[in-house]
Amino acid sequence: MIENYAILPCNGLDKCAGVISREIGLKLCKNNHNEIICPVFARIADVKYHKITDQYPLLIIDGCATRCASKLALEKGFKVSKKITVTEEAKNNHLELTNTLKLGENENALMDIILNKLATPEEKAAPTSGQANVEYHFDYETFQNGKFLFRVPKNPEIYYNENDCWAYVIGNRARIGVTDFVQQNLSDILYFTPPDMDAEIEQFGEVGEIESSKMLIDLISPVSGKVVLINDTLIEKPELINKNPYELGWIAELELTDFESDKEFLIGFDKYFEIMKKKVEGLK
Amino acid sequence: MSENTFMGVDRSKIDWKPTIDYSKCNFCMECDKFCPHQVFEVHETEEIKLVVKNPNNCVVFCRACSKCCGPDAITFPAKNETIQKISEIRKEMESHD
Repeated sequence: MIENYAILPCNGLDKCAGVISREIGLKLCKNNHNEIICPVFARIADVKYHKITDQYPLLIIDGCATRCASKLALEKGFKVSKKITVTEEAKNNHLELTNTLKLGENENALMDIILNKLATPEEKAAPTSGQANVEYHFDYETFQNGKFLFRVPKNPEIYYNENDCWAYVIGNRARIGVTDFVQQNLSDILYFTPPDMDAEIEQFGEVGEIESSKMLIDLISPVSGKVVLINDTLIEKPELINKNPYELGWIAELELTDFESDKEFLIGFDKYFEIMKKKVEGLK
Repeated sequence: MSENTFMGVDRSKIDWKPTIDYSKCNFCMECDKFCPHQVFEVHETEEIKLVVKNPNNCVVFCRACSKCCGPDAITFPAKNETIQKISEIRKEMESHD
């Protein structure tokens, strides 16, 4: 079981998903050395809880996609370590939740699934043999707009999609990430949701999310493949994406499944640089 | 050709936009507050208080507004069908070049 988490449930007591969120929070605290944060009290007096969030990693349990608990954490400056959304888990597990507040068979099954998921240590894949010594070099072109500097690597091994994500392809493997356009546009990145290890990602499929106080964006994969490595440093330090989204802030590595087909929808440095400049100008 | 293109294809030819299920939408306007591209428009005084006003402003393959939707009222087209359509249009454009 997970231990020593500070837990912030959404506690939305007018919806089934909120009730489940609350119940999960209570169960985790009953069985373990976790500390619960009351979202109602935290809204008016968060000082008490900063001591707990400074001491323990923070687990957010959002009920639905309105993500009230996540927004509260952002508003109060709590650093988030892990998030789970009840309705998303219900969808992933093909469980339909009741419209009432009474928890039945599906709701209890979902609670067990979520508790079990939280209890299972996350898989971390080691680099496969032959990959550990791969070195990534970046040769940048820059573009200044006011006080903002945009770097774009011009290495021929790097491909881009028009969703501002890059893939550095070596052999049958690609390291992927976002460009400076994304990190400048989002401003301070506060949370990174990685893709699942071993997940099969389609080209233009989601390969994680990043979130700032301004917005949340899906990371749209430039290539198709299986996730074989995640930059899990970003879970604790998402700000590395702001620092350098190519070197320190890369997202994941994929074992490519159909790169020859993927290339049809990818562009190289010259084209992306022009597109990015137009987008930057459009922000004015 | 329009200035607004995606993968070299005129954006207006690409069917990628949110669709609102009004039987679920509670008009909380979270999607409108969230989207920086003015895809939605709020009509406070009307019965249908939220519409998709600028579908071509929607970033192709972005579904982020649907992730902010508590009642799960927003859907998008199937990604593979959109990719297929873009591919067909590009091939047609190449054959005319």
